[in-house]
Amino acid sequence: MGKTILEVVNLKKHFLQPRGLFSALRGQERIIPAVDEVNFYLKEHETLGLVGESGSGKTTVGKTILRLTPATSGRILFAGKDITDLSARDFRPLRKEMQMIFQDLDAALNPKMRIRAILKEAISVHQDINGSQVDRKIGELLEQVNLKETKLTNFPHELSGGEKRRVGIARALAVGARFLVADEPTSALDVSIQAQVVNLFKDLQKNLGLSYLFISHDLRIVELVSHKVAVMYLGRIVEMGLANRIAEAPRHPYTHILWSSLVDKESREASGTSSEGKSADWGVFDFERPYRGCRFAPRCPVYHARGRPEICINPSTEPQLKDIGEVHKVACHFPL
Amino acid sequence: MRGVPILEIEDLRTYFFAKGKQAFIRAVDGVNLRINRGETLGLVGESGSGKSITALSIIGLITAEPGVISGRIGFQTDGIETNLLQDLGDYVHLKGKDGRVMEVHKDCTGWEKQVERLMGDIRGREISVIFQNPRSSLNPFIPIGKQITEAILLNSLIKNHHKAKERALYWLEQVKIDSPRLRFDSYPYGLSGGMCQRAMIAMALASEPSLLIADEPTTGLDATIQSKIVDLLQELKSTFTVTTMLISHDIEVIKRLSDSAAVMYGGTLMEYGPARDILFVDLESKHPYTAALLASIPSEKHIKEKAYLQAIEGDVLDTINTPEGCRFYARCNRVTEGVREKCQYHEPDLREISPGHCVRCWLYFD
Repeated sequence: MGKTILEVVNLKKHFLQPRGLFSALRGQERIIPAVDEVNFYLKEHETLGLVGESGSGKTTVGKTILRLTPATSGRILFAGKDITDLSARDFRPLRKEMQMIFQDLDAALNPKMRIRAILKEAISVHQDINGSQVDRKIGELLEQVNLKETKLTNFPHELSGGEKRRVGIARALAVGARFLVADEPTSALDVSIQAQVVNLFKDLQKNLGLSYLFISHDLRIVELVSHKVAVMYLGRIVEMGLANRIAEAPRHPYTHILWSSLVDKESREASGTSSEGKSADWGVFDFERPYRGCRFAPRCPVYHARGRPEICINPSTEPQLKDIGEVHKVACHFPL
Repeated sequence: MRGVPILEIEDLRTYFFAKGKQAFIRAVDGVNLRINRGETLGLVGESGSGKSITALSIIGLITAEPGVISGRIGFQTDGIETNLLQDLGDYVHLKGKDGRVMEVHKDCTGWEKQVERLMGDIRGREISVIFQNPRSSLNPFIPIGKQITEAILLNSLIKNHHKAKERALYWLEQVKIDSPRLRFDSYPYGLSGGMCQRAMIAMALASEPSLLIADEPTTGLDATIQSKIVDLLQELKSTFTVTTMLISHDIEVIKRLSDSAAVMYGGTLMEYGPARDILFVDLESKHPYTAALLASIPSEKHIKEKAYLQAIEGDVLDTINTPEGCRFYARCNRVTEGVREKCQYHEPDLREISPGHCVRCWLYFD
């Protein structure tokens, strides 16, 4: 496999939540650790899937990597270069190579600009090129994302969800990106269109050699497009490994529950697990709930089954990602 | 399909007049459905296929200026059938020229009054709805318990406040909200999406309706929460024998909960029949659209081999310029030379091809 294109070391992103004026004055703001000591790397031409429930910090990881929001601490290395503290001027040439495909189709495209203008802006903002070259480039992009030329004169609201998604992808490709953060690219689409978009992602990777950080809560899609998968829970990666191993032989109890909760009767019946088994009281997670040690312990079936061992809730022994062979890592004291 | 029908929809057409284009958007264009007591009917289809508009038409929420409904919706209460669209046509006047509708005049006040006359005792009492986004359906300023109590006082025979509160607690328990007494006073913002959806379900069931319409009840929830809501609906279905019309674009959800299923495309039904025939078995005799829809879901095999998915090329139907022939013709990959001409110029009707199983496709006729 190829070179490493992206490496993230001990990345942290903490948000301060103001708790009203008086607490703020007394310095009692609350810290929300949206991303807490995240480590991973991504090789060229590869896809890393990032999964987790909403609020687990997936999108924040994506945004922090692209420096759309500053990291609290940690290092981000893109193609071997530390970009964490680069000045805006020094970062600009790299910005071309890393782009984001945003989740919200309607918010990401300017409703008052025609598609041609949207693409043109993206092309000309990073390079100085003339009119006919822009047109040629637009033609190329349309072909790459399989969008009809007649759509160029339309406004975003006149396009269907799938077409808007294609425009978003074309815009990211317009500047010549090599690495894309795709934030829930299929979540708002119908299954038939979703399949078109997934195929497009695969095609682009094959033809242009792109690397993706593919963020999604749709486990099946992630498994399908990704080479490796990282599972996030409350700002931390709890398990990481090859996609099929994560899906078939998960070692972290959270990953196991996540995959077995797919609303899929046939496969569930086939595997013989009943619905009661997986719904073992599995409350809601939130940052408000105080935790000590393992963040997942309060919801963890293994923790409860083992009689609440001390090691799981001891603050000094929060489980760290440990290598368990075959590029598989898990952060759990009692992996399955 | 035998059984006692509770809802019978005949040739429902809900059009919206687009002034700028001087044309009708045919959101629902000739739908025939029937739900029997105790049954769950699953309505599947892509966005824009008219699923939600069908639901809104049933509960009389299409009141705005451009919305025009025709057809018949027969709803059974205590053996008496009411047509929920009775006389609504009287409030609409179309002005046309050369067979083209140029203007639509709708007496909105009259229409609304008529809808209130028809629906007043039914909506909320006999037919309850769970909408897609639970947070936006709940009042953000009122604790959930109070909202449920309010619904009970309004829609059931319980008129005593204290008793209504007890009843609300009972329903919160039934939808498996833990420590219901504690959650009774929670505001929607303090609850997770799944919890809010449970509260919505409690509110909808609290009036013990004879028909529950669930419009995308699991969409927008996390995978773990989704499967729990589906489990809950399944359990409620067996405990309380709720008759349900379940609308979802998620075929897996429909598969798990439905007895019969209807596949919608471009405002009309493409296939209708027992859920097991339509969504489970690899029957040859499936509508090409249903088959393509099922094939575009990533299967175990796709995932293992990291294969390309079978997408349906093209886009969802434009409901202003509905084609002459079959609505799915432009995207269909099973058109054979023998039927091509029919598909292109003549719209097939919904015909029964095996007991209870109807398909709208020329491939299966004669």
